[in-house]
Amino acid sequence: MTAIDRVKEDLDYVASAVRREAREDGIPVIYYMWALLVGIGWALPDFAPRWTGLYWIIVGPAGGLMSWWLGARQGAKAGINDVAPGRRYAFHWLLTLLAFFLVFLPAVTGKMGADAAAINVLLVIGLAYTLAGVHLERPLLWSGLLVFGGYVALSVLELPYLWTTNGLVVAASLMLAGLTRRKRAPAALA
Amino acid sequence: MKALHGLDAALEHRVRLAISVLLARHGEISFSRFKEQLELTDGNLGAQLRRLEDDGYIALRRAFVERKPVTWYRLSAAGRKALDKHLRALQDVIAVAGP
Repeated sequence: MTAIDRVKEDLDYVASAVRREAREDGIPVIYYMWALLVGIGWALPDFAPRWTGLYWIIVGPAGGLMSWWLGARQGAKAGINDVAPGRRYAFHWLLTLLAFFLVFLPAVTGKMGADAAAINVLLVIGLAYTLAGVHLERPLLWSGLLVFGGYVALSVLELPYLWTTNGLVVAASLMLAGLTRRKRAPAALA
Repeated sequence: MKALHGLDAALEHRVRLAISVLLARHGEISFSRFKEQLELTDGNLGAQLRRLEDDGYIALRRAFVERKPVTWYRLSAAGRKALDKHLRALQDVIAVAGP
C-alpha cells in the first residue's frame, strides 16, 4: 500500500466516524412541555385575557430555562458537552420570539386587523418550526408543515376562539414532533 | 515524499486523528461516546487517548453525570494547533498526489 493509499483510507475512516455522529432528534419532553404551556397560554386571551401577560412573563422564561436545562442534560447523557448548539438554539428561538412580536406591529399601528395578526402568528411559528426542522432537529419539520396547514385553515375558515384554536394547532404540532421523533440508541453514559 | 514530512506522528494514526477531529467539532466528548462512535474496545481507545494526552494534545476531566462517573476529553490549544498543521500537511500530500 502506498503512502497516498494509506492517507486516503485514514481520511475515509475519519469521515465515517464524523458521519456516524447522532443526528439531533429533539427531546420529546420539551415538545410535550411546550405543547401544554402553549395550549394553556394561548387560550387565555379568549377566556381570561387579564392573566395572559402575567402567565407569559412567568412561564415564558421558565419554559426557556427548563428547555435549556433538559437539552444540556441530554447532551451530557449522550456524552457530548458542547456549548455551540445551545447558542444556536438560543439564537433561533430568540429571533422567533422577536418575529412573534413584530407580527403585531401592523395591528398596533392600525394597518392590519388584530385577527389577521393573530393568524399570521401561525405563519411565523410554522416558518420557525420548519427551519428548525431543517437546521436543528428533524421532528420539527413535520410540526412546521402542520402549523402551515393550520394557517391556511384559519385563513379560509371563520372559527370562534381564534387564539385557542391557534394554541391547539401549535400544541398538536408539538405533540406530533414528540411522537414522530426517531428512537435513539441507548445513551452513551459512563 | 517531501509533503509527508509535515505530518504529525501522533496524528498519523487514524483513530487519534478521528479523536482530534471530533474534539475540534465539539467542546468535550466522553470516553463512552468515543467508544460508541469509533467502535473500539476500551483497551484500544484508552491507549490512543493516553498517547494524545501524553503529547499534551488533549486534556481530561472526571465528573459525575446522574451519579455515574464520566471521563470527558477536550482538545488542548497545542492539540488544536497540531491538528491544523497536520490537516494542512495532509492537504499538501493530496495536492502533490492529485491528477
